[in-house]
Amino acid sequence: MMSEDNNEVILNIQGLNLWYGEKQALFDVDMPVRRNEITALIGPSGCGKSTLLRCLNRMNDLVEGCRIEGTVEYGGVNIFAPDADINGLRKRIGMIFQKPNPFPMSIRDNITFGPRLHGIEKKKELEQIVERTLRQAALWEEVRDRLGSNALALSGGQQQSLCIARALSVNPDIILMDEPTSALDPIATAKIEELCVELKKDYTVVMVTHNMQQAMRISDMTGFMYMGKMVEHDRTDVIFHSASQEATRRYVSGLFG
Amino acid sequence: MFTNQNGRGTKARADSDKVVRYLLMAAASASVLILLAILVFITNNSLLALKSTDLLGFLTGNVWKPSEGLYGAGNIILGTLLVTLGSLVFAVPVGIGSAIFMAEVSNAKVRRILKPLVELFAGIPSVVYGFFGLMVLVPALAGLFPEQMPTGFAWLTGSILLGFMALPTIISVAEDALKAVPGTYREASLAVGATRWETTSKVIVPAAISGIASAVILGIGRAVGETMAVMMVTGNSALVPEPLWNVFSFVRTITATLALEMPEVVVGSTHYSALFLLGLVLMLIVLVINLCAKQVVRNVNRKMQGANGRSFLRRILGKKDAKRFKRGFSVIATLAVAYMVCSLFLDQAMALALSVVLASVLILVQMFLKRITRSSRQKLMHSATFLCAGLCVIVLSVLLGDIIIKAVPALSWNFLTGYPVDAGKSGGIYPAIVGTLEIIIGTAAIALPLGILSGTYLAEYSKGGRFAQVLEQAIDVLNGTPSIVFALFGVSAIVAILGLGVSLLSGCITLAFMILPVIIRTTEDAIGNVPLQVREASYALGANKWQTTFKIVLPAALGGIMTGAILGLGRAAGETAPVMFTAAVLMRYSVGFNLLEPVMVLPYHLYYLATEGSADPSMQYATALVLLAIVLAMFLVANVVREYSNKKNKW
Repeated sequence: MMSEDNNEVILNIQGLNLWYGEKQALFDVDMPVRRNEITALIGPSGCGKSTLLRCLNRMNDLVEGCRIEGTVEYGGVNIFAPDADINGLRKRIGMIFQKPNPFPMSIRDNITFGPRLHGIEKKKELEQIVERTLRQAALWEEVRDRLGSNALALSGGQQQSLCIARALSVNPDIILMDEPTSALDPIATAKIEELCVELKKDYTVVMVTHNMQQAMRISDMTGFMYMGKMVEHDRTDVIFHSASQEATRRYVSGLFG
Repeated sequence: MFTNQNGRGTKARADSDKVVRYLLMAAASASVLILLAILVFITNNSLLALKSTDLLGFLTGNVWKPSEGLYGAGNIILGTLLVTLGSLVFAVPVGIGSAIFMAEVSNAKVRRILKPLVELFAGIPSVVYGFFGLMVLVPALAGLFPEQMPTGFAWLTGSILLGFMALPTIISVAEDALKAVPGTYREASLAVGATRWETTSKVIVPAAISGIASAVILGIGRAVGETMAVMMVTGNSALVPEPLWNVFSFVRTITATLALEMPEVVVGSTHYSALFLLGLVLMLIVLVINLCAKQVVRNVNRKMQGANGRSFLRRILGKKDAKRFKRGFSVIATLAVAYMVCSLFLDQAMALALSVVLASVLILVQMFLKRITRSSRQKLMHSATFLCAGLCVIVLSVLLGDIIIKAVPALSWNFLTGYPVDAGKSGGIYPAIVGTLEIIIGTAAIALPLGILSGTYLAEYSKGGRFAQVLEQAIDVLNGTPSIVFALFGVSAIVAILGLGVSLLSGCITLAFMILPVIIRTTEDAIGNVPLQVREASYALGANKWQTTFKIVLPAALGGIMTGAILGLGRAAGETAPVMFTAAVLMRYSVGFNLLEPVMVLPYHLYYLATEGSADPSMQYATALVLLAIVLAMFLVANVVREYSNKKNKW
């Protein structure tokens, strides 16, 4: 399941520093993300892995007092450049959140929300998107008869699948996942993990996870973060079996964290 | 079994629990009883009028001449509706715009300034608004439209003033609704590439729509029931505007009629009874508005949840025709509104021509707006919401600034501590200050225990049974009941039947009934904010229900309760209508705390000076400032209490 190391770098994080007000949360983070791979970010709570993830589609813009230095290069452009098109960026870099967060609308409207914003209005086209993304998210068979019913009536795992379908609806390149299974039971978790591996064929995934087994099971690359720094970033089997840093070895063997 | 060392067993404590439950239940039933009493008294008193004129004649007749026995309230009811409608035309968009600015556009710093400003805006007594209207708005409008409204008193003036008064209600409720939308929706929408404005308009506002709808409805409720401010600026002639949309016409509202005629009417006469019938009509109007509101909110909620995606229009016309119909309708509506506005200034032909031009310009602008880029639309809309919020701040500063600057010349030690001389033309307002404070204390003494116990019952003891439902309904209705209706009840039941006369006690009881719902609601909310774990911890130590409630939960909720209570009392302090019939006299030359004597109060004094007295304007301004100062001081105290308790209890 390991992919070639020569996959093109799609997202290049270089010298990233981030402050929340006075407090520095990220220190000189470097990490290349390669196309069609799953990159997992692991590390103890508060180490900055979610913060790093939320930089990649500029979600941190919502946080007041947040200041960023360094570059994240995507498609040959620095996403923090003053003239960068944030909404275009977020369309290309989708996000799945810790807790499933469907809008309080019908299943169909949840998925067509994004495409409509970006100018797709033809009913047929929208229906195709709904079916395609729900199939990709392995939810189609379960909900095809009740696309008009409220998304909040779905189970937690189904809601998260719907959120994945919603993220796919705008044709992203990259999907960011912020502990996507932390609010789910083991069965739903297994399903979402399966889905991630499936998604890798067409998309690139960057995932924050608390669950080391999960990182081991599905990721190609793993970054270990500690206290705002990227301690080590390498192929997943290297990180878990022959890490070069003492801290990484201790963390993956469960000695701290 | 399980007896503790003092020998008090669990059995005894279970019994005491039952006693407490019944006591609380009794306190809570007060709201139902009060509502019933109000309904019974007002209906009973209006029967006589129904004998001399039939209901239909009363509702549709257009001559109101009590001196000749003619009671046609049609024009008066129409006046009430028109003034309210007019106020909504600008209060709703400006209010929702400001709420969106505060919740979605501005940053935390700006919000921290705006939020208390809005509360302050809401806390200004209506008689002060009326005074401001009389002193500033009336001359300003008379100068602006010398041809159309030479006096400055008009429907338009009343609507503008009412709009300002409804604004803070609309803003704060709508902002709360927007803020309550989970942040995850915002993130999810931005994450699929929506702009902030698209997120606001397509996700946040729809998710908050039922809260926004209730904001608007509460605003309407406030406007319909408003008495003093309207009465002071609308001219009070029961005319039908000619044409119907002539906003420069005099109008007369139900509330103004009640406040103007009640003091002069013979108790028990047909006229007296007709006024109660008017009060009943007012109550029904408010009730119908509230019921419609609930229905609207329910429908909107159902729709939001995707139960029925197709609108009514779409179902009968099909998608394409529905679109065409909507477009056609909006063109015609724009044209009609443009014509209505133009026809007030020009003769028919000119008005028609100009309105066609205006309407096409508006439609062109609309088409242009559809074409601009997403980010410029965001800029445009964000600026629009900024302007809404800016307008509120400007109005508030003009109001406060005008009063403060013009009050200064008359403020002196003698003014604050002296008795009025020569019917208030000179001298001081000492007895009015004391009377107002006495009213506040007396009202608190009645409303606080009753309200807090009722709120506790609803939050902790009632388990959503039939009784609790009835209670909630009664509290809702009481909460929406206009203050002038409480005044009618005070006059007929407390002053006359209970025989307390026009006295401090009558006023306090009336006001206490009026603010009871506010206190019950804040108590309920504050208790609801105490986390379940705190209760569990108490039960885990073997405390029973009432011990947990009174020793753990209530103290923890005290900050929130006090904040709400003080704000409610601030409202009572500024009320004019209920006090002027039940407790107030124009002049008093001694002070002393006597429950059965009438008192002088600031709001009524201000009303008297502004409308009938010939006192120097600076005297009037100074009176307004003192009243404002008392109300604002209470508002400040409430905020300090809130800050303090928020800091103390960080759950």
